Amino acid sequence: MDCAEIRDAFLRGETLPEDRVQAHLRVCPHCHELFEGHVALGQRLGSAATPELSLPDDFFAQLEQKVSAETGMRAWLRSRPTRVRVLLVSTVAVAAITIGGALHLRPDFAEYPSSRLALLLGVYLLAVLVAVQRELSVSSRPGAFATKPGVLAGTLLLPFLVAFVPPTEASMQHGPEGALICFSFGALLTLPLAALLWACDRDDRPSSSSVWLSAVALGLTANLLLELHCASGNAIHLLLGHASLSLAWLAVWAALRGLKARAH
Amino acid sequence: MAAYVSGEQAAFRELFQRYTPLLQRAMLRDLRSAEEANDLVQQTFLHLHRSRLDFEPGRKLKPWIFTIALNLKREYFRRTKRRQETSLDDDRAAEPFEGPRGQERSDAAREMTRALAALPVDHREVIELHWFGGLSFPEVAEAVGSTVAAVKVRAHRGYVALRARLGETVPDPEQAASAGPEVGEVP
Repeated sequence: MDCAEIRDAFLRGETLPEDRVQAHLRVCPHCHELFEGHVALGQRLGSAATPELSLPDDFFAQLEQKVSAETGMRAWLRSRPTRVRVLLVSTVAVAAITIGGALHLRPDFAEYPSSRLALLLGVYLLAVLVAVQRELSVSSRPGAFATKPGVLAGTLLLPFLVAFVPPTEASMQHGPEGALICFSFGALLTLPLAALLWACDRDDRPSSSSVWLSAVALGLTANLLLELHCASGNAIHLLLGHASLSLAWLAVWAALRGLKARAH
Repeated sequence: MAAYVSGEQAAFRELFQRYTPLLQRAMLRDLRSAEEANDLVQQTFLHLHRSRLDFEPGRKLKPWIFTIALNLKREYFRRTKRRQETSLDDDRAAEPFEGPRGQERSDAAREMTRALAALPVDHREVIELHWFGGLSFPEVAEAVGSTVAAVKVRAHRGYVALRARLGETVPDPEQAASAGPEVGEVP
């Protein structure tokens, strides 16, 4: 006799042979603690078991229909193992950063402090990787540190803090102009990443943590590629053209979530 | 599950038949509407289908399927802006899902359902998975993403709170030890 047999007997309202129960209680501290003078609790828990209901006749047929409708590129991507999807999305994020820098590397890159570059690359890429992993993980638990809205909001604010610390002497000579161009460049280069992230997400209705995690992944990727691309150290330019991309992606994902919720 | 992953379509029906009653019961405890519960059960299987290649052979399926179900249920409550954790003063907590007509439940069952509904979600989740989901404590720990020790602590706290709410007195350990368990009196 084990814990499950005792529990199931309570749920079915059955009488158990006392000697066998006692034998189990002697070797199982948990059941011993639970039932020690508190048999009534087990009985009452048993009585509170939700009754089983019959399902609609076409329930399984509906499910089969939904499963068989899972075809095409998105279905294929969604069904890849989590490590493959995480690797794919992370690779595209790194590719976006590399392409952004390769298309136009900031003119003052030679003077760019290597410690700052290492710190930004380390922190942003780690945050992107964790966000992607949490977003695509099958067993990501809401409430975990990496999915707490406070932590995610703090991560999204990083580019705003960086905007007030110009990296080079030359970068301080720039004015606020060109913010819209940077914003468009960052948005355009992270668009394929956004599409892939959406395609790889197994949830039909994005969860609230999904909105935050996607915004972190997209916003930080955009800011990192713009940091390599744009030499401006003007705070207004950086706030409007770079850091705002995090909030823009947050707004886009929240709007998608709203639309999906309305559709369902 | 391994059979389903390897392409046996019949295995999906078997999984469905084996786990639907457990999942339906788990959903109904909080949702109190058969349609909403059935929708979440269906979504759980759809997610299972999408996640099938993540399943590692030799791993237990039950905790994994409950992890998916719990995440969907939590998100449902977040989306509908309803609280999963209800209080004793909440009228809805006093009206748990009753099941089909003719299946009346005793006052004791109602009282227990209300007491369970008043527990913190973390405690209630563990007790319900263990009692009504049929998961062992290691399986519960896997399903909720915690350790076995932490899950047992939550269950213990939940039992103490249940006893307090139901007006049961916690016996003196020495007295209880001399009196011995009364499990043989299970009806």
